[in-house]
Amino acid sequence: MNRQDAVVAGVALAGAATAFALTFKFTSTTPAAMMSGMGAEFFPRLVIGLIAILAVCVALRIGNPGMEKPAPIPGIVWITIGLMAFYIVMLEVAGMWLASFAIMVGLGWLWGERNLLKLSAVSVILLLVIYGAFVKFLKSGFPVGLWA
Amino acid sequence: MEAFLAGMGAAFTPYMLWLILAGTVLGIVVGALPGISGSTTTALLLPLTITMGPTGAVAFLGSIYCAANYGGSITAILINTPGDPSASATAYDGYPMARRGEAGRALGMSAFASAIGGIFSVIVLIVAAPLLARLAYQFGPPEYFALALFGLSMVAAVGGESASKNLLAGASGVLLATIGLDLTTGVERFTFGEPSLSDGLDFIPVLVGLFAVSELFERISQRGEKLEIIKLNALKLPTLADFRKCAKAIGLSSVIGTFIGVLPALGATTAALICYNETKRWSKYKEEFGKGAIEGIAGPEAANNAAVGGAMVPTLALGIPGSTTTAIILAGLMIQGVRPGPHLFTEQPTLLYVVFGSMLACNLLYLVLGFAFAKAFARITLIPDAYLWPGVFILSVVGAYAPNQSISDVWVMLAFGVVGFFFKRYGFSPAPLIMGLVLGKMVEETMKQSLLLFDQDWSQFFHRPVVVTLFAITVLGLAAPVIASAWRRRFPKIPTPTAG
Repeated sequence: MNRQDAVVAGVALAGAATAFALTFKFTSTTPAAMMSGMGAEFFPRLVIGLIAILAVCVALRIGNPGMEKPAPIPGIVWITIGLMAFYIVMLEVAGMWLASFAIMVGLGWLWGERNLLKLSAVSVILLLVIYGAFVKFLKSGFPVGLWA
Repeated sequence: MEAFLAGMGAAFTPYMLWLILAGTVLGIVVGALPGISGSTTTALLLPLTITMGPTGAVAFLGSIYCAANYGGSITAILINTPGDPSASATAYDGYPMARRGEAGRALGMSAFASAIGGIFSVIVLIVAAPLLARLAYQFGPPEYFALALFGLSMVAAVGGESASKNLLAGASGVLLATIGLDLTTGVERFTFGEPSLSDGLDFIPVLVGLFAVSELFERISQRGEKLEIIKLNALKLPTLADFRKCAKAIGLSSVIGTFIGVLPALGATTAALICYNETKRWSKYKEEFGKGAIEGIAGPEAANNAAVGGAMVPTLALGIPGSTTTAIILAGLMIQGVRPGPHLFTEQPTLLYVVFGSMLACNLLYLVLGFAFAKAFARITLIPDAYLWPGVFILSVVGAYAPNQSISDVWVMLAFGVVGFFFKRYGFSPAPLIMGLVLGKMVEETMKQSLLLFDQDWSQFFHRPVVVTLFAITVLGLAAPVIASAWRRRFPKIPTPTAG
């Protein structure tokens, strides 16, 4: 058993245990006799059992050739995830278009482009296309922000 | 015949032709973007179909599916980075050809072989799907349960190297499919009191997150890899000598590709890799392979497009996805309230003929567009990551938000993007998770219906020949990778066939 597979199996088993615990919260008003032994928890528990067995298979490398240690995750990935989460929060504050413009320019700059004018122009053009396709053509609505 | 004419009439109205054209262009353009696969393209553009209705949606998605495979070959040939995994075999010989100044000839053969493979498979689809549906029409819940299990067991063969990890992902997808209201008892499961989860997890944010957003994280984590980009002056028609040389490869690969496509869960990538090996095996010029053999482009390109039509056969006739992209198309149809299966052939034949018509039209269309706008499509590969991926992210957000106008869906998308990224890092493929999510409800419903039918007697399953046969194939399918893995560990020096 290598460390990566042990991590995978551990996460899967922990997830399965949590899901199994949650199945005890399924409360039904249907009489047991009418459920014919197939309560709401029956199928999920069957699948959870299967997940647990497969997690053990992964750990014991049954049907799993094992894997090399993955390269460390570069910091830029975490910054990107953080920026995206912040952007989703800002969607309702600043509105779709302003927040999207800011994130496009921000991500472009983070990923190495230093020409802010070009980044801004490309962002505006793409947002106009999206506006045309989704708002004008498909009649979708988007968050307008707190001050709209 | 009446349904056929009605279907063709519906497929070739100006609105439908416009959708097919839009799907084809978008499929080629997005498919040609480095790192964006056909499944990502389909997932990313799926939200656009919400207002189209089932017929429009299926024509649009079918066109994207066909065209994205061809689009992927442009990037494979010009920058050695397949736009679609199914074009990875094309890069083995396409890129060396492009480096010696024959990019136009390589792309020309790719377009032709793709179109021939694609058209052949659509013809097979037109013939085989109704026959399979007629057979499946006699199926009851037990047969469907066995069929869905068989489809899920095939996920062991999809992506990633580990069968047990693929199955683990598939089972997790099935568990995710149980989120929401249990139809038998009316009990809310795993909803945490969130009303929006009562109908289950929405497909679109999950699909967009797993395919597009996770790909974005993957791409930036590999930032800094320099690509040599080859310019394209013009697309050239392959010569008569090229055709003669490649005819056998195209014919053979079209047949094999269609057959592989028909098998649940096995898609274009497997077809292309197998056909690359087969083309090399049957070629008189084996020594040219890997150095720029035109047959090395014709074989995999005919195969990966042939697999597209093949994959639609079980998707439409049985409701079991033939590939990752067809799983997304299936999800798209389910969003529209259409559940593919044999009854579709009697209840909505027009919809099916629209699929056939649109796929046929798309295969002809990208051949024409490929030649007319080759230079423009080739330019797409030059878009720098700093412009491309922020745009993909915004499109993902719009796609996740628009259908329900819910910020929670955007969070779900981001969460599944992160999950997908970690999946890939730890040797999982997101495809089995999607298969599980799409087939999960069917597995549960048919299992419960069967048990009601059998009065809770599980042994009754083994009294039905079709079920027993499907169970046997499923067990064999599950055992094969385990045996192969044990064999490889015991005899590590025995060479396995490779694409190169």
